[in-house]
Amino acid sequence: MRAITEFMANHHRCCDGLLVAVEQAVVSGAWERARTEFARFQDAMRHHFTAEESLLFPLFEQSTGMYRGPTQVMRGEHGQMRQLLAGVASALDARDGEDYAGSVETLLIMMQQHNIKEENVLYPMCDQHLADQVDALLPGLQSQIAGEERVPT
Amino acid sequence: MQALLSFAQSPPLDAPFRFFLTAPLFAILAGMLMLWGGPDLFASRWTPAALALTHLISVGFMLQVMLGAMIQILPVFAGANLLRPRLVVPVVHATIALGALLLVAGFLSQQAPAFWLAVLLLGSGLALFIGAAGHALHHVPATNPTINGLKLALPGLSVTVGLGILLAVGLDGAFALPLLQLTSLHLVWGFVGWGVVLLAAVAFVVVPMFQLTPPYPAWFARCFAWLVLALLCCWTVTARWPGPSSLLAGAVVLSVAAFAVHTLQLQRCSKRARFDATQHCWRLAMLCTLAACAVWFTGVRGPSLTARQEWLCGVLALFGGFMSVMIGMLYKIVPFLVWLHLQNLGGVHFLAPNMNKVISAPQIRYQMQAHFLALALLLAAVVWPRWFAYPAGLAILIANLWLLRNLLAAVGFYRQQGQKIAAMLPATPATASR
Ligand SMILES: [Fe+2]
Repeated sequence: MRAITEFMANHHRCCDGLLVAVEQAVVSGAWERARTEFARFQDAMRHHFTAEESLLFPLFEQSTGMYRGPTQVMRGEHGQMRQLLAGVASALDARDGEDYAGSVETLLIMMQQHNIKEENVLYPMCDQHLADQVDALLPGLQSQIAGEERVPT
Repeated sequence: MQALLSFAQSPPLDAPFRFFLTAPLFAILAGMLMLWGGPDLFASRWTPAALALTHLISVGFMLQVMLGAMIQILPVFAGANLLRPRLVVPVVHATIALGALLLVAGFLSQQAPAFWLAVLLLGSGLALFIGAAGHALHHVPATNPTINGLKLALPGLSVTVGLGILLAVGLDGAFALPLLQLTSLHLVWGFVGWGVVLLAAVAFVVVPMFQLTPPYPAWFARCFAWLVLALLCCWTVTARWPGPSSLLAGAVVLSVAAFAVHTLQLQRCSKRARFDATQHCWRLAMLCTLAACAVWFTGVRGPSLTARQEWLCGVLALFGGFMSVMIGMLYKIVPFLVWLHLQNLGGVHFLAPNMNKVISAPQIRYQMQAHFLALALLLAAVVWPRWFAYPAGLAILIANLWLLRNLLAAVGFYRQQGQKIAAMLPATPATASR
């Protein structure tokens, strides 16, 4: 009954791990490595957003009839995180340690409070309302998160 | 379903901020009280000035921060918003702020009317908060340790308030109440049943996710709040029998120590690039909590805790533990909320200045050092009051004026940047998507 929550929360932790790699590169002053690690993190985040916006949220909206509720807020926060990701990327490009620290701190808090909302509230509701569609849904989410199906946004 | 809808509207900025900005005022009063009371204040924890001091920190500083934070985290952690926040929040804030002042005035003046009014205000304000938060959380299933902990902290607060009211009523001796026993029940329920349970609920999420550490052991997170609450209930029931009672009290202290040890261990594995102010505050807080537990255990081996040991425990737990961790968290919550609300004002084609620009890093560092120094001086004042009482009072005064300055700087930054954004968007009316 917690298949969606577990799957999506696991991917949140994967993204955390990718961000850690960026942090470690920055600590050791390896700016080039930090950029490549950040690109991987940014890709993973974008795929996650896309999987939610194009697959999970529409299904949730259809089955609950709530189009202007939590999913709308989550889409808005995805937009803000995309802006923050771009901000961190330009700090890394400029090798500006201070700007990086501030931007990544803001991104981390934004991202984690967003993840908490999803993991504590939205995903459990998805598990509840989409119970009969989970078997079809999970492979779709899997392939989108892996970046196999680019959905035009 | 109703729970789900509610994180659509996160609370307005002034809802948590009014609590956060009030908190340092009480700690400033605490510093002034120490300068006024001098070394005599430390004679016993039962002197009126000492009781006033502990309540300035607990009901003044801590309660303000805890309620402000709770209003902010309920929608995020549990999808639960307070009902009618624009009415409830200002009323709760005003009643507990005024109630805390009157309570302190009551201790210092020993005038019954001040106590009665304080009890009325604090009792009704907190009842309103507990009712509103309880109502918001009522329909949320306790699917994880954090939601469970938030729910279980409320009965802890209720018991603390109830015992406090009983004590205030019993103080004039009209009823033959066992005041000593009631006092220790009151303070342990407040420290542990409310304070530690709430802190742990928050820590289970905040430490792994924001400090990038491994998670707390699942069994520990799942059992902690229940275990502590069960132990506290058993201890309360057996309070008349010294044998089982001290055994249970020991178990409560051990659980708190276990939480501190787990937290310290996790934070050692933090993968953050920099060990920042907030993490220093957490570490100091957990070390102080452990030290308080250790002092308690060395104390109970004798016939009872000496006056010094009681003071040490109290100072370590209140100033070293709770206050440090709260200051550390304020330095994350406040700048982030400023950033978030600015970002909401600016809209999609605008990126607000990052949160580290909200309060300057050196100011945070200096304030933190001032707080650490104040704590050290206060611990010294407990042992050598004649030498250190005045320096400690002065240090607390300075550290909290500084904290107030830093929080006001954040508000100033928000106003200034908000105006900039408003000037930038002349065509569209400021539709902040709150
Ligand atoms: Fe999301």
